[in-house]
Formats: sequence, structure tokens, C-alpha cells
Amino acid sequence: MTTLAITGFLALSFALFAIAIFGILTRRNFILLLVSLEIGMNAAILNFVYFAALAPVNAGSTSGLSGQSIAVVLIGFAATEIAVGLAIVLALNRSKGSINVADSTTLRN
Amino acid sequence: MDLSILFGWAFLVPLLPALAFVIIGVLGKHLGRFEHGGWIAVLLSGAAMVLGVLIAVGEMLNPNSYTDVSYTWFHVGASGPFANGVSFVVGTLVDPISALMLIVVTVVGFLVMLYSVGYMHHDEGLPRYYALLSLFLTAMLGVVLSDNLLEFFLFWELVGVCSYFLIGFYWRKPSASSAAKEAFLVTRIGDVMFLLGIFIYFSVYAMTGPNGGWAANGFLFVHGSTSFIPIGAPGSSTLLTVAGLMLLGGAAGKSAQFPLDVWLPDAMEGPTTVSALIHAATMVAAGVYLLVVGSIFLGGYTSTVLFAIVAVGGFTTFYAATMAVVNTDIKRVIAYSTISQLGYMVLAVGAGFAMVGLYQLFTHAFFKALLFLAAGAIIHTIVTQDLFRMGGLAKKMRYTSIAFLIGALALSGIPPFAGFWSKDDVLASVYSQLGAHPEYWPFFILAFVTVFLTAYYIFRVYFLAFSGERTRDASLPAAHEVPWVMLVPMMVLAGFAVVAGLFVFVPSFGSLFTGIPGLATNVPPSYGPTDLLLSAISVTLAGAGILLAWVLWGNGRVYELRASSPAHSIRNLLLARYHVKAAYDWVGMVGMYTVARAADFFDRFVIDGAVKGFERSFRSMSDGMRRIQTGLVSDYAAYVVAGVIAVFVLLLFVAPYLASLFGGG
Repeated sequence: MTTLAITGFLALSFALFAIAIFGILTRRNFILLLVSLEIGMNAAILNFVYFAALAPVNAGSTSGLSGQSIAVVLIGFAATEIAVGLAIVLALNRSKGSINVADSTTLRN
Repeated sequence: MDLSILFGWAFLVPLLPALAFVIIGVLGKHLGRFEHGGWIAVLLSGAAMVLGVLIAVGEMLNPNSYTDVSYTWFHVGASGPFANGVSFVVGTLVDPISALMLIVVTVVGFLVMLYSVGYMHHDEGLPRYYALLSLFLTAMLGVVLSDNLLEFFLFWELVGVCSYFLIGFYWRKPSASSAAKEAFLVTRIGDVMFLLGIFIYFSVYAMTGPNGGWAANGFLFVHGSTSFIPIGAPGSSTLLTVAGLMLLGGAAGKSAQFPLDVWLPDAMEGPTTVSALIHAATMVAAGVYLLVVGSIFLGGYTSTVLFAIVAVGGFTTFYAATMAVVNTDIKRVIAYSTISQLGYMVLAVGAGFAMVGLYQLFTHAFFKALLFLAAGAIIHTIVTQDLFRMGGLAKKMRYTSIAFLIGALALSGIPPFAGFWSKDDVLASVYSQLGAHPEYWPFFILAFVTVFLTAYYIFRVYFLAFSGERTRDASLPAAHEVPWVMLVPMMVLAGFAVVAGLFVFVPSFGSLFTGIPGLATNVPPSYGPTDLLLSAISVTLAGAGILLAWVLWGNGRVYELRASSPAHSIRNLLLARYHVKAAYDWVGMVGMYTVARAADFFDRFVIDGAVKGFERSFRSMSDGMRRIQTGLVSDYAAYVVAGVIAVFVLLLFVAPYLASLFGGG
């Protein structure tokens, strides 16, 4: 992989992360918020994968594999996070009748 | 039987009325059959009287014996200059003066308690009355039997509290409750001075007082101790002068001496029995007793203090007597008379004859209690205290009138009644000091003139109340003789008022007055030629006073002074009590109120202002903080993002810039 390719991949990650931040800051729909979060998280996972690919894979060395395995673990985390997030969405919908986060500001008072 | 074995049991004397206090206080509501506790109080104060008089007789039969039973109350560990700590003791001391006071307090206490059964019969709240009167007896006996100054002070305060409660016994009357407050506050001025005096005495005698110093034995009273710092010693006399003046202040508060005398006439708002026991015979005498204790156990007084005592006593004697001359309230006249007679006692102590003061205290307790009880009998039947509305009572109340007459003769100082011997002894004692102390002259003359005033005002009362054909106010209830339960105490006191002055001529009783080591005594009176001359003059003055009273008031008629006459304005001045009370009110209302307002302003605007300003700044701060707490998750997310960006900016740009600025890694 060339330096130019790395720069391109990092630009992709940055773009994804920027989209995620934008979504988190502007969306009011809880599900869209969760989607944005996932995008941001995937940007981070992608980074792990790039840098793992850069590392040389030699016999007896696992340094290149560690980044890839962490990426797999993080995908698992993301799945659990979505499960918890959707549970919150359901509970919120049941108690408030809406999944708009602007309606759920009662923690403030 | 040797009565001295009782000396160790002296603590029982105050405990018996204390038992009555507890029983009546706890079971009061269920004691209706015992006159609401009255008979219990009579029984236990009677037992206290028997024990107290037996102890006093034991002291007479074992002259000059001092029996101290004391226990360590608490011990304060070593600190400061007190390497062995400071001990406080509690105990009883049976000695000649406490024996004398035991007789006065227990006998008058029992008789007043008995009289109360008749006098208070129709009142409400009797359990409270008998419980408090019993507590008062306990406290007063505690004062008398205390063997150290601290215990003395504690009981002294307890006496004051009982006085406060009993003056305000008719608490529904606003005048009674305000009189109670006044008595408490005015005597408090004296009590604070007394406490300061105790501190100063302790600072002087902590190491060098009797039995190795007060630090070791807790203010103990020890007879004949020579280990006090001599009054002339360098550095001691200023402190001792201040301490003595403080002690005088305490005594003046309790004994209603000028200028702390204002509370006693107003204290007459209480039941007459309370006036007889507390405000005539016992509590007000405690101030004089304190001065006597000071001359015996605190190393004596400096000459400045002695002169102050003479001045206060001599002036008060005359000052109070003048106010008694014009008053028309029978109880108030007798109250002024009490202040005046207490002045004689203080005068005698100041002249250096503490035992003469006690002699006057002893006789005065009986005849003054008698006068109050006789006045109480009048008030009980015709329900007024106004002398101008009374009259002609001698026909209806023969025994009461005789009792009052005996009391009046004793107060006037007509021989052979009790007051004659003691009052003449006071005058003769002061006279004997005039050569050495010519500055005592004015006060001696005032005291002498007071003999005339005393005879006049008390016989004015006698004639106004008892002579004439009928009561001047026909609307009053018909007078009748009071029941035996009230007459018997009066008769016993009348007996004492006749003979109490002569007791001192009995050697064993007289030993009570001579048994104090190192104290000049003039009891019984010596009766040299000068003394006889003085006696003759004072009896003549008293006779003149009685004659004047008879001329003016003997026919049972009353006069109204012309408003233009100078006598009228003098009378108004005296009725206004020389405006001393108004002066106190002015000090309180104008002086203290201004200070209070300034303090209030400071409190409100400076202290509260600082606190409120602090609070307000925090509130505005938290209001600002509150505004960013929107509850909207997107906002929180934005804060997180902003925070992360800030951290990166700091790490990547600011930190390297600062590092380059200070030239280091």
C-alpha cells in the first residue's frame, strides 16, 4: 500500500467521522442518532484495519493481526450498543409516545 | 444527748423540703385532699424545722464548733498554673452563723407554709405554689449550709429563680409577670457582679487561700484561716477592692439596696405569703448573709469596700424609709420598710460588725414576716391593699390587730421588743467607728433619722388600717377574724417579735454571735454610758414618730393635700420613687434601644448583607450554569465534541507554543 492510498483511506475515515458528528449534532430522531453513532464508530474501526494492514506480517509476529482482531471486537461492541440503544428507543416510545430526543429533556429538572 | 451527732446530717435539712417539692411537683393534681399538697409541704418543712432547730441547739451547746462535711464534686485536671488541677467540692458547714440562719429560715419557712394553708385556700394552681415554695426553702437552706463559695452561688441562683416564679404566681395579671421579670433582671445585674467577684477572688486565693489555696479545695470556707493575702500586701489590694465591690453589687441586688432596689416594691405582686418568707425574712437577707460570709471567709474587705458598704447601707436606709412614708399600699409600705431595715444590716456589716448585721437580720426576719402575715390577713378578708379604703379593723380583727401592733412596735424599736435591741446595736456599733472614720458621719445621721421615719410610717399604716369606727370604703367585704391556721403562725411570730432580741443575752445563744474567730463583735450590746444615751435618743425619736402618726392619722380620717402645697410635690416625688425607676426605663428605652438599633442595623446590613451577597453571587453563577443544561442530548454531544477539539488544540498547538516560549521540553 502506498502513502497516497493511506492518505485516501484516512480521508475516507475523516469524512465518515465528520458525517457522524454532523448527524449526532443535528438529528432529533433517536434512531437516526444511533445510525450516526454507528457511522462514527465505523470510521474508527476502519482506521484500525488500515494500520493493521500497514504492519508487516511475519512468521511468529502477531502485531499486524492485533488491529484486525480489535476491529472484529469493536464490531461486536457496536452490535451490543445498537441493541441497548434500540431498547432505550422502545422504552422511550412507550413512556413518551415519541422518539424525538427534543421531547426527552426531563433529566434537566 | 449530744446533739452534735446531727451536724453530719445537716444535708437532710434542705433535702426534706426538696422531697416535698418532688412529691407535690409530681403528684400535685392528685393531692386535693391534702390542700393540694399544702399539708405535705407543712409536714416536711416542719420536719426540716425540727431538725434545723435541733442542729442549731447542738451548735449552741457545743460553742465554737465548725463541722464541715464535704465531698469532691468534680476535679479538673492539671492545666496552666494548676499543676495538681482544680477540685470542686460540695458539702455542708455547720457553724454559728449557719446555725443562726437555720433557725430563721426553718422557723419562718414552716410558719409561712402553715399560714399559706389558710391564706391561699381559694387560689388556683396550689400544687405549683407549694412545690415552688418548698423548692425555695431547699435553695435557701442550701445557701445557708453551703461550705464553699461555688455551691453558695448555685443555691443563690436557685433562690432567685424561685423568687421569680413566685412573684409571677398570678401570671395572668400582666403587672405580676412584669414584676417577676423585673425582679429577675435587676437581681441578675447583681448576680453577674457576684460571679465576677468569685472569679477575682479565685484568681487571688487560688494558691494562697485557706488549706493550701482554693485550687486544691474548691472555694472552701474555713474558719479562722490566716493564709489569705493580707489586705495591705502589694498588688493584692486593688484586686481585692474590685472583688469586694463586686460582692457588694451581688448583695445589693439580692438585698434590694440602692440602686438595685427597684424590684422589691414591685415584687409585692406575688402572694403575701411569698412576700413574708422570700421578700422579707429570708431571700433578701441572703445578700446581707453574703456580705457576712465575705467578711468571715474571704479575708475581709479593704477600707474602700467597707466605706462603699456603709454608704450603700446608710443611704438606702433613709432613702427607702422616705418612700414608705407616703405610700398607700399596705404591702408596699412594708416592702420599703424591708429595704430600709436591710440597709441597717448592710450598714452594720460595713462598719465592721458583721455579727451585728446578723443580729438585726435575725430579729427583723421575725417581726417583718409578722407584719406581712398580718397585712396578709387584712388582704385576705377585705380584698384590698389600699390603706385609704381600710379603717376600723381593730374591732373586727382583734388578734390580727394585736399581732400587727407588736410587729410595728418591734420595727419602731420600742423596748423591750426585738427591733429595739438589734437596731440600737447597729447604731451603737456604727457610732463606735465614727472616731476612726469620720466619713461615716452622714450615713450614721441618716440611719438615726430613719428611726423616726420608721416609727412614723409603720404607725401610719397601723392607724389607717385599724383605728376608726368602720372601713372607709363601705363597698368592701365585711372584715372578720382569720382562721386559726393563719392566726397561730402570727401568734408564734409575735412571740418571737417580743423576745427574739433578748435571746442574745442567754449565754449559749449568744455564743452563736461570738464564736467566729477574728471577727469584732458587739453582740450582745455592751451598753456603756454612750450607748444608753444613744438608746434614749433613738427611743425618743421613735416615740415622736408614733406620736406624730397618732396625731395625723389616729382618728381614722384621711386627708387630701392641696395640689399647690410643696408637700404635694414632695409626695408625688416620693410616689414616683425619686424617678429612679423612670431613669431605669430611660436607660432601657432610650440608651439600650439605640444600641440595639445600631446592632440591628449592623446585623441586618453588614453581616446579613455579606451573607446574602455571597448567596446571590452563587445563585447568579448557578443560573448561568443552569442555562447550558438543556436536557437535549445533541447539546451534550456538542459539548463533548467541543471539549475534545479543545483538548486537541491544547495538545497540538498551545502546549508546543508554551514549551517553545519557556525554552524547555
